Amino acid sequence: MHRRSLLAAAWAAPFSMVALGSSPARAEMDINRAANFIEATGQELVGALNSRAPVAERRQRVAAILRRAVDVEGVGRFILGRWWRTASPAEQQEYMKLFEETLIRNLSARFGEYEGVRFSLGRSQQRTEDDALVNTVIERPNTAPFSLDWRVGEVGGQPRVVDVIAEGTSLRLTQRSEYSAVISRNGGQVSALLDAMRRQVAALAARENP
Amino acid sequence: MHPYRRPLLLLLGMLALSACATRPPANEPEALAEYEQTNDPLEPFNRTMYTVHNGIDTVLLRPAAEVYRFVLPQPVRTGVGNVLANLRSPVILLNDGLQGETQRFGTTLGRFLLNTTLGVGGIFDVAKNFGLPGHTEDFGQTLAVWGLGEGPFLFIPVLGPSNPRDLTGFGLDIVSNPVTWVVANGDNTIENIGYGITGLTVLDTRERLIETIDSVKETSLDPYATFRSAYRQRRQSEIRNSGANPSSGNAWGTGLGTAGNPPGRN
Repeated sequence: MHRRSLLAAAWAAPFSMVALGSSPARAEMDINRAANFIEATGQELVGALNSRAPVAERRQRVAAILRRAVDVEGVGRFILGRWWRTASPAEQQEYMKLFEETLIRNLSARFGEYEGVRFSLGRSQQRTEDDALVNTVIERPNTAPFSLDWRVGEVGGQPRVVDVIAEGTSLRLTQRSEYSAVISRNGGQVSALLDAMRRQVAALAARENP
Repeated sequence: MHPYRRPLLLLLGMLALSACATRPPANEPEALAEYEQTNDPLEPFNRTMYTVHNGIDTVLLRPAAEVYRFVLPQPVRTGVGNVLANLRSPVILLNDGLQGETQRFGTTLGRFLLNTTLGVGGIFDVAKNFGLPGHTEDFGQTLAVWGLGEGPFLFIPVLGPSNPRDLTGFGLDIVSNPVTWVVANGDNTIENIGYGITGLTVLDTRERLIETIDSVKETSLDPYATFRSAYRQRRQSEIRNSGANPSSGNAWGTGLGTAGNPPGRN
């Protein structure tokens, strides 16, 4: 099973069945609201992944769900971290475009692997003052279920996925480390990262349309 | 000290010096913060070791794991994994105890008794169905709970990502494992069984990681950085015992063995 691709899917796939209520007060992101949001988005995404529509159409649907459910802008900036300010405005724009594209293509290149995927809510828990962590259990045919945690924050008054955590590993932290290593090893040039991302998107696209 | 050893030591020292990553100057606080957070002052050396590891893995470990997967069907592999995990139970039990985790100590003890008897020598994980899911513990985690820092990140060929603390823990795991002593004091047959256990542990661990590692190598723009970050995050979560998924009992406590089971097997 492709853990990383699942993580990518995880961005898109906040799935849950029932909101198990345990909601400590004083939290900005209400746990029930976060869980409901994860469930609604998740059902939508499961529907898109399991639909019989052509790949291009499925990708469009998935992309639309992702743009609505994930704080793409915030996550993208978090991952670029300290390099955001050294990037030129044109590079920033290009990075955001490529980041979103990577997110979507990582999923669409593997549509076949997600057929029959099902999701349910595990235990829910509050993690920080601002964000809620929603636990889900993900099942696919012929594989044992495993758990993913969704960090849900409030962005512009709406709940948005800001991170995915599998077995104690945060996707945004791991990806920040990866991107920063690419830039550092190329003399601090953000353009080197953009080149690498462009090649990656092209490779993923090639996989989707053999 | 033998006279001819000195040049060798000198050479090693020079190698270590030349292999240090440059620490960013104090007037670049963000670069410095990242350098400290990454905790990899030996990065050039580690990257070389990663390349060496990758070579060994490509020609030896991964193909062996593929053969292992091809030859044994999933239920048999699950049984093998269960037996290995059960053999590791005494080490897990000891570390549960050393960390003062009474409830987890009880779980490990119950698992060992149930799986060894009803589970036919550990082949079947019956304890899971009695509400006693497995977890992993090792001396690296115990040392961390006792307050020992991890030290600089290390990449060790074959073992994978680690650090001085987890490497020490790995040694203590082996020394404290009753199996080690049975094998060391046994006759030829028992010695061969010992080699068999070691070999199967390597195969079992690598086989579980085939897809995970493949997909990191395929999708990461810098697999080394990804493995490093994932290893350190995962260890922190294991030390806190905060994992949502119980890890497999035969995680080695160092290297790729703890870098993740592919969800989906077990």
